[in-house]
Amino acid sequence: MLKIDNLYKKYLGSERFSVENLSLELNKGEIFGFLGKNGAGKSTTIKCLTGIFPFNSGTITICGHDISSDPINAKLNMGYVPDDHSVYEKMTGREYVNYIADIYRVSKADRDARLNQFLDKFNLQRAVDLQIKSYSHGMKQKICIIGALIHNPRLWVLDEPMMGLDPQSMSEILKKMREHCAEGNTVFFSSHNLDLVAKICHRAAIVSDGRLHSIIDLSVEENQKTLEETLWQ
Amino acid sequence: MHTIKTLLGLEFKSKFGSSGLKDKKAVIRLVVSLAFFALVIYFLYAGAKLIFGMFDVAGMARQALTLIFTLLFILFCVMGVSNTIKVLYYKGDNLILMRFPVTDGEVFISKTLFLLISQTAITIGSVVPMLLAYGVTVGVDSFFYAMIPAVIFFLIAIPYFISNVLAIPFMHLTNRIRNRFGLIIAMLAVFIAGMFACYMLIFSSIVTFLNDSSLTIFSGEVVDMIKGMTYYFIPTKYFADLLLKQEVYFAMPALIGLTGALGAGTVAVITKMYSKTLLKNVEIEGSAFKKITVNKPRPVFVALLKKEFIQIFRSVNYSFQYFVLACAMPVMVYFCNDIVTAIAKQSVGEQAAMGISILVMLIFATVITSFSATSVTREGNNFYQTKVLPVPIRTQLLSKFVIYAIVSFSATLICVTALAIAGYISALNALWLFGITESLALAMTLRSMKYDIKKPNFNMVGEGELVSNNTNTGLAMGFGFLVAIVMGLTSIFAAYFLTQTYMYLICSGLAVLIIAYCLLTFFYKVTKRYNAIVHR
Repeated sequence: MLKIDNLYKKYLGSERFSVENLSLELNKGEIFGFLGKNGAGKSTTIKCLTGIFPFNSGTITICGHDISSDPINAKLNMGYVPDDHSVYEKMTGREYVNYIADIYRVSKADRDARLNQFLDKFNLQRAVDLQIKSYSHGMKQKICIIGALIHNPRLWVLDEPMMGLDPQSMSEILKKMREHCAEGNTVFFSSHNLDLVAKICHRAAIVSDGRLHSIIDLSVEENQKTLEETLWQ
Repeated sequence: MHTIKTLLGLEFKSKFGSSGLKDKKAVIRLVVSLAFFALVIYFLYAGAKLIFGMFDVAGMARQALTLIFTLLFILFCVMGVSNTIKVLYYKGDNLILMRFPVTDGEVFISKTLFLLISQTAITIGSVVPMLLAYGVTVGVDSFFYAMIPAVIFFLIAIPYFISNVLAIPFMHLTNRIRNRFGLIIAMLAVFIAGMFACYMLIFSSIVTFLNDSSLTIFSGEVVDMIKGMTYYFIPTKYFADLLLKQEVYFAMPALIGLTGALGAGTVAVITKMYSKTLLKNVEIEGSAFKKITVNKPRPVFVALLKKEFIQIFRSVNYSFQYFVLACAMPVMVYFCNDIVTAIAKQSVGEQAAMGISILVMLIFATVITSFSATSVTREGNNFYQTKVLPVPIRTQLLSKFVIYAIVSFSATLICVTALAIAGYISALNALWLFGITESLALAMTLRSMKYDIKKPNFNMVGEGELVSNNTNTGLAMGFGFLVAIVMGLTSIFAAYFLTQTYMYLICSGLAVLIIAYCLLTFFYKVTKRYNAIVHR
């Protein structure tokens, strides 16, 4: 579903690599956590695989499509939720979701059904026709998530998705992650919340100083317990 | 007192940036700013001298002084209301300041001191050169110069107090219509076009006066009308009275009384309404409108166009300037063309007409197209979306280009049609003029967009709104003006020294070269450069 091979990324003017020789492979139907301290290279890796940042070397393929040589097909299979919930705030929620749905060529029947389902799930029915700039932090995050899922992507990428969310919203997003995964899709998300990762993920990768430290199989109960210890090593 | 000083310092820093001449660039910036300031002062002095001379010939020097004071007074009041609303009530830092242990009074005093200092600088900078010009042109005694500080004091105090009294009602009005973008754009377009038409009529009179300065441009009826009208210009005629030692014993107490009454009104408004209005405004700034739409699939390109349009149309700082200028452009082109053609025909000959039309059209087209120099950076924090979407970068850039092209196409078409209908150019010439100016406007749009892609400047204010002007806008304007001057002068000289046919050929050839240059520079590594842009 997602394959990263020997990824190297150095920012312009920087002397060191922010991501160095990173390789990962995510399977179908898996929730994959991406862990690391601040500045470890999590967001940089995510921004490279979503096409936001160019990278120095390595390959990234999404559903068999190379993000560098075949970016359109790679992106068509992916939905992305950024860490800062940036959306076009001058649009109403419905205008924004329709814009994204148009870009991903979602049919009217599919967008009607999915949007209604999401609005119910996230309790946004009353706000969807208001300008997004009036939304709360959590509501913006939810409209971002709806935008990322309106085309039912095979790979759903989230950068720190739980930041600043209330417990109810967090639980709704976790539920949606599990549902999305159960449909045979893959979820890849970065987080600082070890408990959450241990609870929901099938596997997790730990990055440190831009390098892959380890990949942990969280289906093994022992590994769940020692996750924190492994992270600090 | 210490808090007020700190807050005032913050206010100046947020307006002018950090002080100090730390490097060469800062010194150069200061020198350029001072030179620009000196140039503005000189133009004010020279312009005022010309106007006072014009009125003096007609025996209306005193009335001219009253008229100038009236214009300045209205301008200071309008600017005052606008600045008071911005600084006291709407500025983003109100939300931050409310969280700190500072009182409403301290915030108000620091902000109002900032307004007063700014207004003092603007008043002195604009009034002193004009009054010196009056003194030199008309000839005055020392009493005139002695009274200048008093007049400046009243010109600062009265508009300042009026602004404070009017700011709250005006703000409530703007809050009511703040989301009715179409209405605001239409109102502003009419206002700007009207102001420009008035300005050009005055300019036209000055041109007539310059051609024969011994003659008065005012008929007897106009002189009587101006004299009669200015008699009722209160309080501005008192400023003139004070300076010219006429009815000083009435003018001075009247101005003192007015200042006192307005001062008392300001104190009443501030003590009763400042805190309440501030709190309400913080709430209103985040407010938004509701628009019920249905889920409707659109082709990808149409969706991109719609998004671009919404981003511009619903952006207060940006769209109002852009669309308003585009709407007002035909009026501006018509008046400019009228006056400049008259001057050029007199000094160069009939052949200059087409060159002048090209020059004028391209200058205004430059102003409109320079807005595209923020086409990419306007995405702001949503820039990542353009990279994540499964749409080629070139298609996304094309959608931005098409939006600008639609606006420039409409504005240019209306301008050329207006010139043709008014009889300045024939239908065939109008067609040629449209072809040349529109294709150059499109080329300049591409050039402006490339400036933004090459060196993006993500400079945001308020709720992530892009500031409308930055270095790239300046570069785009510089390039556009250069194209306008080169095209205009080539056309004038070709028509004068050669024939009209050669003029068409040479200008068309030159336009093709400029368009080719813009196309080549735009497409050169455009995708690579775009992909290299990193924001957050």
